[in-house]
Amino acid sequence: MRATTRTAYGFLTPYLLIFAAFWVWPIIYSFYLSFLSTRVQPWTFNPTFNWGRLIIDPAFFNAFKNTMIILVIQVPVMIALATLLAVLLNSHLLKARGIMRFAFFAPVVVGEVAYAAVFRLMFQADFGVINKLLALVGVAPISWSSNPTAAMALIITAVTWRWVGYNAIIILSGLQSIPEDVYEAATLDKVSKTRQFFFITLPLLRPIILVCVVLSVIGTMQLFAEPFLITNRGGPGGATETLGLFLYRQGFTVLNFGYASAVAYTIAAIAIVISVINFWLGRDPK
Amino acid sequence: MSGVTLSNVQKRFGAVEVIHGVDLTVDDGEFVVFVGPSGCGKSTLLRMIAGLEDISGGEISIGGTTVNDVEPADRGIAMVFQSYALYPHMTVEQNLSFGLRMNGKPRDDIARRVTKAASILQIEPLLARRPKQLSGGQRQRVAIGRAIVREPDVFLFDEPLSNLDAELRVQMRVEIARLHKELGTTMIYVTHDQTEAMTLADKIVVLRDGRVEQVGAPLDLYDDPANRFVAGFVGSPRMNFMAAKVVDTTPGSVTIETDNHGSARLTLPVRQAFQTGDAVTLGIRPEHFGGPDGDGTRLTVNVDVAEHLGATSFVYANMATGEQLIIEREQSRSEMGKTELTITIPPARAYLFDSAGDRIR
Repeated sequence: MRATTRTAYGFLTPYLLIFAAFWVWPIIYSFYLSFLSTRVQPWTFNPTFNWGRLIIDPAFFNAFKNTMIILVIQVPVMIALATLLAVLLNSHLLKARGIMRFAFFAPVVVGEVAYAAVFRLMFQADFGVINKLLALVGVAPISWSSNPTAAMALIITAVTWRWVGYNAIIILSGLQSIPEDVYEAATLDKVSKTRQFFFITLPLLRPIILVCVVLSVIGTMQLFAEPFLITNRGGPGGATETLGLFLYRQGFTVLNFGYASAVAYTIAAIAIVISVINFWLGRDPK
Repeated sequence: MSGVTLSNVQKRFGAVEVIHGVDLTVDDGEFVVFVGPSGCGKSTLLRMIAGLEDISGGEISIGGTTVNDVEPADRGIAMVFQSYALYPHMTVEQNLSFGLRMNGKPRDDIARRVTKAASILQIEPLLARRPKQLSGGQRQRVAIGRAIVREPDVFLFDEPLSNLDAELRVQMRVEIARLHKELGTTMIYVTHDQTEAMTLADKIVVLRDGRVEQVGAPLDLYDDPANRFVAGFVGSPRMNFMAAKVVDTTPGSVTIETDNHGSARLTLPVRQAFQTGDAVTLGIRPEHFGGPDGDGTRLTVNVDVAEHLGATSFVYANMATGEQLIIEREQSRSEMGKTELTITIPPARAYLFDSAGDRIR
């Protein structure tokens, strides 16, 4: 090994040690754990114990179903909103564009606990501002925390609010990479602004939207903070329990590390499969 | 009729006026080139004709109709952009047909137009490719093809060759000239390259700081520039300028003296009256210097650098005043390695400009 290379690795060593101890090792060890029965001491090797339970566990399938509902509704809605928002933030007609861009990005930097507390207050059934506003248009008060559908809508709304600006900023960067004269050429070709959006902007944004979709899918598969904090640990009655929350419950409430590890690997596998499908569907047609 | 008329056309960005009341007539079928240095407003003027920039004052008419408030797509123009502006996600064929498809043109009409444009530009083998799979020259052809399929009354070219290498530029220049001959359509072409302007144009419009300096046929501009700016801009290498002062005047002629070695004197026929001592500028093109035995005033200059191109040479020489002269010499192999050169300035080839830069006739 050349001296310069050795020096570089020397500087990298502290990081690599931490990376190995807190990333690589847990990933490997949890895979091993998923084959152990960890309900009783001492832990014993039993490959079918956790994996066998997983495929028949109604609680797991409830969490899986909830996660998929959130994913199927929230990701497309959020990406569509983020794309529209990006177009607005890119508009020359918009005043104070810098401040607006920051304002929409800001939810990402707000602490999860703080934002969850605000959402709980806003959606409080008796005195929350949302129900008050709905009352103004004649809608009866909605029990956001005890109605399963309403609770799910609340989670979807909260996650969308938090991440839409973040995705909009990523899509905005893609918008800004489309040269202005392509639109001028389309204007000379008598293509309306709406058609320019659908026939030029959207196809050119496809790779970047695809990245946003995949990142959002991965994020949703790991969704934890919102159901934990806003709807009281996946309530009502597990109606908003996600795979992330189910994993947490198995691992750190019941202390069944073997089963939690199997759930973790399943979440990762599902995220990978959905992402691969996304990339395949969004590939450049030749 | 698809001529273009500009009457007192102005453009202001806030308080800054960039186009100062341009008047211009482009005849039907004419090839007009806007030429000038960067920032002179030539592209802005073109974009105003296209309708991509609003005009702040004046009137633009195309084919006899005022188009100030007409949408770009309805002006009967097609534009070729400097950066090609092709739709990157579409094939060449889709690029050519996109506008027609969006406007609901019949399929057979679209196919006919695309085939015709592809055949004119010899891009038939490229129709299934994407822009990123094309070379610069091929992309430029597609961009021109996209203009052709619109079957416009007026073609607008915004520095279309500036992104190409020197060889391709010459080749595409010839093709654009051929295209104009073939289609016979009015073309307005923007460039900062005076060679392109000279070779392509029926009429050149020289612009500086948003004003028209001179309009005329290429050789008229070369032979009879209206001022020092045009004289310096048209012709390559550029005209030489030497500071001089009037030392004698007689009715119909003036004698000037340059500040070079031994104060070379030159008597030129002019109609304008002068005072002895007036400062003037003498202009002469590199190709118009005579040899040591030629007619006119003799000058001896120190050779700085000589570029020998085979048939001709360009000699860069310094005068005592520090001004540099470029001298074109033919049959000059015998002069290689010389440090001094004697040349002559034939009075018939010399131009005189006053201190404001206007031509003295």
